[in-house]
Amino acid sequence: MDQPLPIARRHPIATTFGLRDFLPSFAVLWQRRELLWSMTGRNIRSQYKQSILGYAWIFVNPLMQILVLTFVFSTILRIGEGIIPYPFPLFLFVALLPWMFFSNAVASATDSIVGSASLVTKVYFPREILVVATVLSKVVDLLLGVLILLGLMVIYSEYPSWTLAWVPAIFAMQLLFTVGIALPLAALNLFFHDVRYLVGVVLLIWFYMTPVLYPVEIVPDKYKIFFELNPLALVVNAYRRVLLDGTSLGVERFLVGMGAALLTFLVGYYLFKRMEAGFADRI
Amino acid sequence: MPIGSDPPGIEFTQVSKRFQLQEGRTLREFVPALFRGRAWSPPFYALQNVNFRAERGEILGIVGRNGSGKSTVLKLIAGVTAPSEGEIMICGRVSPLIELGAGFHPDLTGRENVFLNASILGMSRKEVLSRFDAIISFAELWDFVDTPVKRYSSGMYIRLGFSVAVHSDPDILLVDEVLTVGDAAFQEKCLIKMREFQSRGVTIIVVSHSMGLIQDFCERALLLSGGHLLADGAPAEVIHQYTDLISHPDAALETV
Repeated sequence: MDQPLPIARRHPIATTFGLRDFLPSFAVLWQRRELLWSMTGRNIRSQYKQSILGYAWIFVNPLMQILVLTFVFSTILRIGEGIIPYPFPLFLFVALLPWMFFSNAVASATDSIVGSASLVTKVYFPREILVVATVLSKVVDLLLGVLILLGLMVIYSEYPSWTLAWVPAIFAMQLLFTVGIALPLAALNLFFHDVRYLVGVVLLIWFYMTPVLYPVEIVPDKYKIFFELNPLALVVNAYRRVLLDGTSLGVERFLVGMGAALLTFLVGYYLFKRMEAGFADRI
Repeated sequence: MPIGSDPPGIEFTQVSKRFQLQEGRTLREFVPALFRGRAWSPPFYALQNVNFRAERGEILGIVGRNGSGKSTVLKLIAGVTAPSEGEIMICGRVSPLIELGAGFHPDLTGRENVFLNASILGMSRKEVLSRFDAIISFAELWDFVDTPVKRYSSGMYIRLGFSVAVHSDPDILLVDEVLTVGDAAFQEKCLIKMREFQSRGVTIIVVSHSMGLIQDFCERALLLSGGHLLADGAPAEVIHQYTDLISHPDAALETV
């Protein structure tokens, strides 16, 4: 409504997206930020309104996972015995929590556009809002998970040092990477409905290839390269470093991670925008 | 602006919309098709060389059977899809009437849905706040404003959707079939509102299977069949042609 009227426009939806379209499209996104908040709010409220326990479910799932995974991997398999200098549940959860955020966000975001078919065919708004809102709505689960993490820290009397200040920077890196992965998947899911199943399989493999259940130190040298190329490994190791080891992340490591995340985001956004014009026709 | 040089509300010039139908929607079907070299089937035209113009303040009805291209026209006006060929000029802000289950989320209350729906249409929170009372009053839903919309009847859904759309200051209002769902009293109210819009220069596009609505309400109507514009004229004549078309479907293309 803040736009001057009347405006004549030709093809309302861009059928091409080039390098110089990045900035204008970010400007539109900024203009529509209120829609992003409304959509995020809608997702959060609708997610938990139905269930009897409501928000309590956010606690039940991670707590069960901590119990079962600790029993299997620490008590039975004795992973990292003598290598991990802190209690296994803490070691596990510092990495499991950001992993769950990534995995849940990517899985739900993949369905976010298909799930809003009736809107997408009716009215134009930047479609990436649907994807980003889905990713952002998972931040609630993450924040409630932080309460569990704090609880574990109190139980084991392991408190983070000043290096805690790195957490927002690492999270920003992770968020950018997550959105960059989710955008093209959400678009592809419109064209091929297998994508959602593929995403499930890939996330499962990715989980085991990321040092969540084990310390990266026990990986044989010849396979270490996979872990150095895996951005999620960098992210979970970074969280462990600043929250448990109390060592700084280091500017250089941060810049490499942030650079990779930014590149992923830009490529993902580009691919998404290239496919956007076909959404209403394919849905 | 001097009279005569007014830009049209909507202008379609030689517009075609082609779909490249996919062989399959799953990789299992798609990948083998790709190797056989025919991943894409021949194009299908949802609209072919369509020309029309709607002046500002005009109420234009569109009739046609299912699959005739009516919803493609609406999608093109709403800007959710681009024409394959031709040009479309749209003046001002388009508000589609977002129907049941689209903008609305079943678990959210009427109030929450008004805010969500309005922000989808491009209204700011401040604008919604200042119009909230008017929106609820028009929809006559004060008693249910904090009830989850899944408990709403379909009539209530429509009333809320219509009310949000008309309070979003549109220059072009797209009214889908949904209007016929409301009861007579509400329909009457909508018609009054739409007449008021018309006098303010808002272009209204009505797509309906209800010939009564088109006849009583529109100044002009278009008849679409198989993606072609078969007729453009006074509602009574267009409706006559449409009823002919239904009774003699084979004669359809001869009139092009």
